[in-house]
Amino acid sequence: MENTNEITREVYWNVGNNATTIGLMYFFTFLSMGLLVYLFYKRYKVYQLGRPLNRTDNLPQRVKYMLTNMMGQIRVKRNSRPGIAHSIFFWSFIVLFIGTFLVFIQADITDLLFDYVFLKGDFYKIYSLSLDIAGFVGIIMMTALFVRRFVFRPKNLITSRDDTIIHILLYVILITGFLIEAVRMAATELITNPEWMIFSPIGMVIANMLSEVASSTLLLTHKILWWFHLFIVLAFFVVIPLTKLRHMFTITANYVFKDNGPTGKLVTLDMEDENIESFGASTVKDFTWKDIFDADACISCNRCEDICPANATGKPLSPMSVIHKIGDAAFNDPDRNLVEDIGQDAIWSCTTCRACEDICPSGNEHVSKIVDIRRNLVLMEGEFAGEEVMKAMDNVEVNGNPMGLALASRGDWTEGLDVVIMGDSSDVLTNPVDVLYYVGCYASFDARNQKIARNFVEICNASGIKVGILGKEEKCCGEPIRKMGNEYLYQELAKENIENLHKYNVLKIVTTCPHCFNTLNKDYRDLGLETEVEHYTVFLDRLEKEKRIPMEEKEFDCTYHDSCYLVRHNDIDSEPRSLLDSAGANIIEMAKSKKDTSCCGAGGGRILAEEHLGNKKINVDRVNMAQETGAPTLISNCPFCLTMFEDGIKMADCEDSLVVKDLSEIIVERLKKQ
Amino acid sequence: MKVLVCIKQVPDMESKFKVNAQNNWFDENDLAYRINEYDEYAIEQAVQLKEQLSDVDVTVLCVGPTRVKEALKKALAMGCDRAVHIEDEESYIKDSSQVASLIADFAKDKSYDIIFTGMQSQDRGSAQVGVIVSELLNIACVSTIADFEYSDGITVKRELEGGLKSIIKVDTPVVLTCQLGLNTPRYPTLPNIMKAKKKELITIDSLELSSIDSLNETLNFYYPQKSGGSLILEGDVPELADKLIAILKEKTSVL
Amino acid sequence: MKILLVGEYRENKLLDVTYDLIGFADKLEADKVMLAVGYEEDIPKFDGKLYLADAKALGEYNPSAHKQLVLDVVEKENPDLIVFIHSSFGWDLAPRVATSLKATQFTEVIDYKDNSFIVPSCNSKLRRDLKSKTSKTVITIQAGAFTPLSEPQGMPSIENISADASSNVNFVAYEEAEAKGLDLTKAEIIVTAGRGVGKKDNIPIIQALADKLGGELGASRPVADNAWVDQSHQVGTTGQTVSPKLYIACGVSGAIQHLAGMKKSEFIVAVNTDKDAPINEVADILVVADVLQFVPALTSKLS
Repeated sequence: MENTNEITREVYWNVGNNATTIGLMYFFTFLSMGLLVYLFYKRYKVYQLGRPLNRTDNLPQRVKYMLTNMMGQIRVKRNSRPGIAHSIFFWSFIVLFIGTFLVFIQADITDLLFDYVFLKGDFYKIYSLSLDIAGFVGIIMMTALFVRRFVFRPKNLITSRDDTIIHILLYVILITGFLIEAVRMAATELITNPEWMIFSPIGMVIANMLSEVASSTLLLTHKILWWFHLFIVLAFFVVIPLTKLRHMFTITANYVFKDNGPTGKLVTLDMEDENIESFGASTVKDFTWKDIFDADACISCNRCEDICPANATGKPLSPMSVIHKIGDAAFNDPDRNLVEDIGQDAIWSCTTCRACEDICPSGNEHVSKIVDIRRNLVLMEGEFAGEEVMKAMDNVEVNGNPMGLALASRGDWTEGLDVVIMGDSSDVLTNPVDVLYYVGCYASFDARNQKIARNFVEICNASGIKVGILGKEEKCCGEPIRKMGNEYLYQELAKENIENLHKYNVLKIVTTCPHCFNTLNKDYRDLGLETEVEHYTVFLDRLEKEKRIPMEEKEFDCTYHDSCYLVRHNDIDSEPRSLLDSAGANIIEMAKSKKDTSCCGAGGGRILAEEHLGNKKINVDRVNMAQETGAPTLISNCPFCLTMFEDGIKMADCEDSLVVKDLSEIIVERLKKQ
Repeated sequence: MKVLVCIKQVPDMESKFKVNAQNNWFDENDLAYRINEYDEYAIEQAVQLKEQLSDVDVTVLCVGPTRVKEALKKALAMGCDRAVHIEDEESYIKDSSQVASLIADFAKDKSYDIIFTGMQSQDRGSAQVGVIVSELLNIACVSTIADFEYSDGITVKRELEGGLKSIIKVDTPVVLTCQLGLNTPRYPTLPNIMKAKKKELITIDSLELSSIDSLNETLNFYYPQKSGGSLILEGDVPELADKLIAILKEKTSVL
Repeated sequence: MKILLVGEYRENKLLDVTYDLIGFADKLEADKVMLAVGYEEDIPKFDGKLYLADAKALGEYNPSAHKQLVLDVVEKENPDLIVFIHSSFGWDLAPRVATSLKATQFTEVIDYKDNSFIVPSCNSKLRRDLKSKTSKTVITIQAGAFTPLSEPQGMPSIENISADASSNVNFVAYEEAEAKGLDLTKAEIIVTAGRGVGKKDNIPIIQALADKLGGELGASRPVADNAWVDQSHQVGTTGQTVSPKLYIACGVSGAIQHLAGMKKSEFIVAVNTDKDAPINEVADILVVADVLQFVPALTSKLS
């Protein structure tokens, strides 16, 4: 023991700063790391069973995203209580890792080669204090997480062998760390420099308890603990690829490999390639490597399943289970038919609301896998979510709308209104319209939604905006068709629509349907649509800010439903609220609002299907949430949501206390009479 | 076994029809076309038979203008092996006997074992072509089949009135005309749609086939006068309900 | 004008619809002669000549034999017009006769004016006026279009005829519809769900109105085919033919086969958003409204 002036710690004290110790230590370290790499390599071979996918373009941006999200634990904290516990635990472990890393730097580089020791003095004080606090906080957080998982046992949280192993290993590592420190301090600082001990407070407390132990005992115990700790840590490394702990690498990687494309945009299949014999996914090899990799990034936190509206109402769909089953098949039985394994009832239940992807801390992509399986079912097997869905697709094919109403009558709702029908107008190129209103099937044909179409035209006319529509030249945008797996029919519709949209050289397309908006603004870009597209809430909000809408503010109470396709697919939540605010709304927000909004049940093409499964209807569930706010009016901005809520209010028997209105109806009610 | 399926392309019945300039049929503009619903069942039955036995060749045939090629492509995508388009721009005004004689002239030397067709078309509803073809070819015919089974010969069930059916056994060669509900027509899978693009589709000008002169004449084609007896109620739903209850109390004895 | 009427028998009984043939001939004030393959025990009541073939010997479905009988009688009587009912018997046999006679055939005639026959087109939305160019003409008439107003009476003179009974089709047996116990023909009030109801989940709305009125639930063919309602509720030529005091058709467009099954109802109300729907041809009242909004409102207002 050295009695120096400066606070420091002798690296390799007692275990021997000699070739044997260091040699053995590094030998076993390299061995375990070699095993870690090898085990991950074996897993890598399994990922390769999937199809190729480029997720390394624009690498600097991807790495930046990864660093921000990993260090900031941003997605982890979405579920705040366990999220914060994990984040703090994570940061404390980062601190401990840096601590060990600095020892390595000093011992093997600066001291060895340049005789430079930096773990001393004030720096060492900060270093030692930080590590002790980090370790202690780590143990506290571990305990919080342990109690949550093993004592409180939250519903649906699966606890597996992996969890038990991980908890034991981490506790042992942290505790032995402190024990080693304490025993060392009892044999050194306690005797020579007790004033240093305060900078390792936990160690100090334990060391004080060992003051009566014989020096020889302390030295032996220290040696044993040191090697034990080393081997436990090396075992920890090997365990990483074998258990959920792999998420330290796989989630980090998943952040790098994230989908950089527009949110939720599906892959546009190449229909022209005659060599492609198989469409959609039924076995592991039909999925991409990323789809298999997602299973390795999944840590079974259950958040996706908990937030899934289908799961919440008793449908057999669990987004987490879809991820797991793909992984399980990849690693154990690659020829397994995943459609049968996951089950059609589960596959068709998804509303593509993206709540699962939004909340997933691992950055997994659940929705595209489900749609890929749907593509297989429809395109390869001719199977549908129900006969009514097949009939709706047949109707779209023949008449361009799922209702099967005459295509020539698509523009009939405009009777009596001042609106240009592009194909009938002789001067549409010389006297252009300001916006092309892409009406959509529901607003064109469904009585309740035709009101919204008329409202939009009325508001535009009052604001001096000239509106044109395609009328019978407009067909279904293809969104529910595409989400239900019929990529072929969707592309046929899209190509025809794009041709007609381009024909009139309009500068802007506005739509009252978030699904049409999302499809034209994202999906259609792959097929060549170049025109700017906006949802009417954004369009009208801008007009209102420019004071162009002659609207009188009239106060009223309401609650507002963020439709999934506006908020989670397109990040639009402020413009509709700003518009409502200008109208005089006092919005009483639902518990699940904005990014946390809960689906109405009609997305994913389910507007075409009948809801038979489960113990509750998704739309009734959401109507109940609206009722809880006590507001008399529920505002929506989507024809599907409006339809589902009209139905839901009847089914929930609350027609006397709750009314649903589209945002456009609120504005029209407030237009100043000309 | 050789099978022929005769189909017709008709406008969707939800369409708003306009009378054409000659007042003898509807204007073809702005109409959505599809395979005649009854013929879809015929195609499906032929394809199911092909799947059941090995060695069944299915030809699908359609008489009409160029646009009917789309209908033939869909039939090929459902599983027919080859298509024949008997091109005729005037088919809309030809009578059933004329259409049947074109088909019979095509089929006469081809020894089809079974000819499937819909029992009637949705637009004309004449219900004649299938039966006339059997008479011209001098082969058996059973119309309005609601069930088909091939095992040790053909057993079909004719759909009669009031839910009653009659069970008929018949040997090939035979014409079978199909009623709605005979089976569930399949939705073509994408590989089949792609394969269909490569299948044989031959076009025969109808003038090359022997036909007969028209046996009748269409004097007029029109929307019937509203019988005038129907009282139309429009307005707000609650008021409508009140009005209807009042009328029912007055005009019927049920309330 | 001379008309040959082809009557219908089934399962040992004369079918009532045979009298529509007589109604047609009387409307045209034509000379009539009837041919039927039936049973001596059940003869139609009319004044005129009846050629009767024995169904026991020839069979109830024997197209070649039945065709031969018609041709034989045509040879003897030389009629201008040969008339069948538009039924599964008539539409099967008529084209065979027409082809042999090189005559034109008009299907589902609903009226006769100035030498031209009127038939429906496009789901009965439109009409065609047709004129024959052949010396003889074969027609099938829509059941219910020419039903005579007066009770049948009279006694025909009977001549027995026969033909070669061999056939290239073999009638095996009849198959009854599964008896579900629902007899709509006895119902006084029927509320029918048509395709306009939208989906199976909405059927309870229609059932509720039927229950409130103390009536039965009916179904159009597509609704029964889709299994939204059991087949036993189907109204129409292939379902049940009904004539209740009150018939409310909800979201029913009115395909011919459906109309044929219910147009004899005493009072018909149609609820439909389409003013051009063929159901309006037979409806006494058309309520232009969305079925899903109007029907619940009506149900709740009925006390």
